[in-house]
Amino acid sequence: MAVATDLIYLDFAATTPLAPEVAERMREVQANAWFNPSSNHIVGRKSAALVRFAAEQLASLLNADSASFLWTSGATESNNLAIMGAARQREHRGKHLLTMRTEHKAVVDAFRALEKQGFDVTWLEPDTNGLLPIERFAAALRDDTQLASIMHVNNETGAIQDIAAIGDVCKRHDVVLHVDGAQATGKIRVDLTALPVDLYSLTAHKFYGPKGVGALFVREGTPILPLMFGGGQQRRLRPGTLPVDLIAGLGQAAQIAAANIDADLANLERLKGRLLAGIQEVAGLHINGPEQGAYPGILNVGLDDVEGESLLLALEPLCVATGSACNSRSQEPSYVLRALGRSDREAQSAIRFSLGRPTSTKKLIRR
Amino acid sequence: MNNNSYNPVVRQCFENPVHAGTVTSGAVAYFEDQGLRIRLSANVAGGTVTELRFRVWGCPHVIAASEVFCRQYEGRPAAELEQFDTEHIMQDLAVPVEKTGRILVLEDTVRSLRAAILDRQSKTRE
Repeated sequence: MAVATDLIYLDFAATTPLAPEVAERMREVQANAWFNPSSNHIVGRKSAALVRFAAEQLASLLNADSASFLWTSGATESNNLAIMGAARQREHRGKHLLTMRTEHKAVVDAFRALEKQGFDVTWLEPDTNGLLPIERFAAALRDDTQLASIMHVNNETGAIQDIAAIGDVCKRHDVVLHVDGAQATGKIRVDLTALPVDLYSLTAHKFYGPKGVGALFVREGTPILPLMFGGGQQRRLRPGTLPVDLIAGLGQAAQIAAANIDADLANLERLKGRLLAGIQEVAGLHINGPEQGAYPGILNVGLDDVEGESLLLALEPLCVATGSACNSRSQEPSYVLRALGRSDREAQSAIRFSLGRPTSTKKLIRR
Repeated sequence: MNNNSYNPVVRQCFENPVHAGTVTSGAVAYFEDQGLRIRLSANVAGGTVTELRFRVWGCPHVIAASEVFCRQYEGRPAAELEQFDTEHIMQDLAVPVEKTGRILVLEDTVRSLRAAILDRQSKTRE
């Protein structure tokens, strides 16, 4: 997983490099199993078996039923399929939906589209540390609430929501719970058998798998409507020829993640501690997000007297982010940090360090 | 896709902001808009801008534009500040079009500086 030696890449929340074993797995499949897994002949069935195996690898990581996954092009598609698919399917149940102001753009924009279609959305505010108190969530429920979408690990602040508690409340009120797990999958322990979650989105490129592939966990008994129509693959919920090489890569990445989660987390805690120790003496520095209990791979800080984009340029060749990578073309301050109560200026002065498996103490100290 | 590319002029000015700072006892102009803050200060003697300084809280393009402005007008007649326009700066620095508003804040600050200089000159004559 080599990066150019003069760069110090600390933007792993944006994307991760392919693990060598994943790249090798994909090459094997591209060379030897490039067949259409929907084809009903010997080599088609060979590719189909590889897809099933990848599902089992993912299922092991998430302690889920391997038959519960729909393959998608990534978390953006998974989020859209879950939110639009569930909301429309359950429209008879009610038209009130719940989500947070700090969700990823893929979730925010899906809910905005549903608002335009006549759904009523409540946008929940977190506390200033980015966490959603369960009482605030419960108080927002109405008789006609049918769907909630809450992100597991926030991509900007690392805040980890209490999905178990939220899920319990949803269950008692017949509310379908969707969770955007893009920043959690392969990074923290996620048990989809224990967690009362109905829909869970993920994408491979956040945990050393390839870009262009993800999955949506759909718990048995959770009906959703499809967004696309076509060849009937994947129970007609997400048709299209499956990219066997990408799926095999995702499966391999999941297997590696499962074997390394505890070691990765311990390493990230240590590295985050070193990073914080190194920068906390800088005048005017403050942390955006929870001081304790956040995902250790993400550290979002603000510097009072320095604008974020200028800080980014001054820190080259350090590769970090200001705001969400998916919003990096926007000139607007981070809406996530604004939702945490930061002013425009504070939000514009924020930078996000996100550490990963290849990050070493040596590189952190160098800068 | 990220549109924040920086051409060599931006990088050179950003990394070598020789005019960053404040002139003591000079004319001052300050503007805060578009999420940025610009402060220009100048000393003028005999109608010539002898010293020109800037302080900016903003993006690299605005910092570079402020440095370019100071380099161009320090040592020139103060009356020439009237001629400052943003078009050549937008081109020379290849400023992304979505940042046009920020460069216009610099233009407003320059106008305000020109007014502050004229005000000081008329008070001196009195």
